[in-house]
Amino acid sequence: MLKQTISRRNGLLLGLLSVILLLALYSTLSWRQHRKNPEDTTIPGWSQLATGVIKSVEPNSRSGERWILVDSRATAGRLFLGLFYGVAGAVLIGLLMGCFPVAEALLAPPMSLLAKVPPTAALAVFFVLVGTDTSMFVAMIAFGVLPTLAQSVYLAVRDVRQEMLFKAYTLGASSGELIWNVIIPIIMPRLIDAIRLQIGPAMVFLIAAEMVVGDVGFGYRIRLQSRLLNMSVVYPYLAVLAAFGFMMDFILRHIQKKCFAWYSKQR
Amino acid sequence: MPMEREIVLDVRGVHHWFGPTLVLYDVNLRIIRGEIVALVGPSGCGKSTLLRAIIGTHPPEKGEIVMIERDRSHSVVRSPGRDRGIVYQNYSLFPFLTARENVAMGLMLDQTSIPYRMFRYGRWRRMRREHLREAGDLLDRLMLGHAADQYPSEMSGGMRQRVAIAQTMIMKPRLMMLDEPFGALDEATREDLQRMLLTLYQENCRARQEGQCPPYTIMIVTHELNEAIYVGDRVVGLSQYWDWRKEGLERSPGATIVYDRVAPVYFPDQERNFETFIEKRRVIREAAFDAQHLQDRNEYLQFWSQLDHGLGEGILA
Repeated sequence: MLKQTISRRNGLLLGLLSVILLLALYSTLSWRQHRKNPEDTTIPGWSQLATGVIKSVEPNSRSGERWILVDSRATAGRLFLGLFYGVAGAVLIGLLMGCFPVAEALLAPPMSLLAKVPPTAALAVFFVLVGTDTSMFVAMIAFGVLPTLAQSVYLAVRDVRQEMLFKAYTLGASSGELIWNVIIPIIMPRLIDAIRLQIGPAMVFLIAAEMVVGDVGFGYRIRLQSRLLNMSVVYPYLAVLAAFGFMMDFILRHIQKKCFAWYSKQR
Repeated sequence: MPMEREIVLDVRGVHHWFGPTLVLYDVNLRIIRGEIVALVGPSGCGKSTLLRAIIGTHPPEKGEIVMIERDRSHSVVRSPGRDRGIVYQNYSLFPFLTARENVAMGLMLDQTSIPYRMFRYGRWRRMRREHLREAGDLLDRLMLGHAADQYPSEMSGGMRQRVAIAQTMIMKPRLMMLDEPFGALDEATREDLQRMLLTLYQENCRARQEGQCPPYTIMIVTHELNEAIYVGDRVVGLSQYWDWRKEGLERSPGATIVYDRVAPVYFPDQERNFETFIEKRRVIREAAFDAQHLQDRNEYLQFWSQLDHGLGEGILA
């Protein structure tokens, strides 16, 4: 039968199996490649990967910097700042659009239009407007996630039943209290879902921008090492990126579960 | 000599249009403190529109709705206010609050403001404890003490509707309005909740006997005639089926009050006897639901004369 549930233990076992299969597939590919060319660096073996990891973690012989540290600091800083501004702007604009028809008429068309513009395509615009330092990456992420997030917030506000709002008014709520005490608590878990979905695109925008104009960061390092065919450094960087995205998603899910228990119970 | 009755709501010549279509025509209705008025009528006749006008979310375009205070001061309804409570069919509880918090929500909104809660945090916490205690007591009274810490999604439909009623009751509104409150519930739960309303009515009668003010005035909108007759001490019919030509009108002007009579009073421990309802149901159907039977709109409006002749029971006696 479709959608039949499986036990938690079986779910974990199957998840583990898929990871083992992936690693086995990689090992096979690497082994075959090294049989043809023992010096190959495009699909590095496990020992080559270990060397790459050490290279990323140890202080660099020229600059004295630990690559993984400086790149993580730069990329994470840009990502968090960009997401912060993007989410804050989206909540404000989404609330305005959902609560006030004038704001809706004014902001809904530009939001749906801007949501269709890939920020990576507008890289030159950010370059001209805000320069090439951190503010450019931050603006790009904020601009990239804001329209879609604002639309999600707007739809979540629109989904709040009118009767609930009427009821709150009869309980003595002012319009401000209605937004603060009724609408915001209702949309918060949906906002978290929307942010979770936007972390991936935000990372894509950032890495792409770092590849083009960055002088530090994950995108910059991956581009540089890819050109030198140092895949033993690139793959660990990709693994760190995946782990970072997974961790962000896990934390947000955890916050949603702990702070908005009613939402998971409702579902 | 009938005793003086305190009017809480006065609907005066209310007309309401949806675009060019007149939905409500010259609706007049006065509600006495302590009554349970059951409003019935065919689907789409404008019962909910009248309710929204009374709540104040959709004020009438002609005529006025007046709330009358105990000191006889009048206020015309133009927006929603805490003197009118509403319970909807779909409960409309705040999903992010437990039953206790849902009930206490009104006290918080009514007695504090956002700046108060932010800048007088200590006082607010003390007040909050008191609100939650009061809400818990009310839930206990409505047999919901065991579910006080459950979220609406964890409760059955009947429990949610009790919480919704408690949420309105705690505000002690001048008028409680119930918009088809039991429509989505099964028969047994519906009967339980009907008895709960009759318990409130019994409290009204007791308060009146003791010379106090009856605490609950209720207007219930329902499409169930049995429910209207059983729960209400007065049944009001709103309908578009009346003889408007007699008033010189060229086309149907919409719904108006076509039936207004006292209903038998039941208390929660009394068994209802459907057989005695048959004749009343027939008359209500004839007055408000029969599209073929168009009568003068005043033909079945005998409520006030019935009171004058001492035919009212319970709070209307």
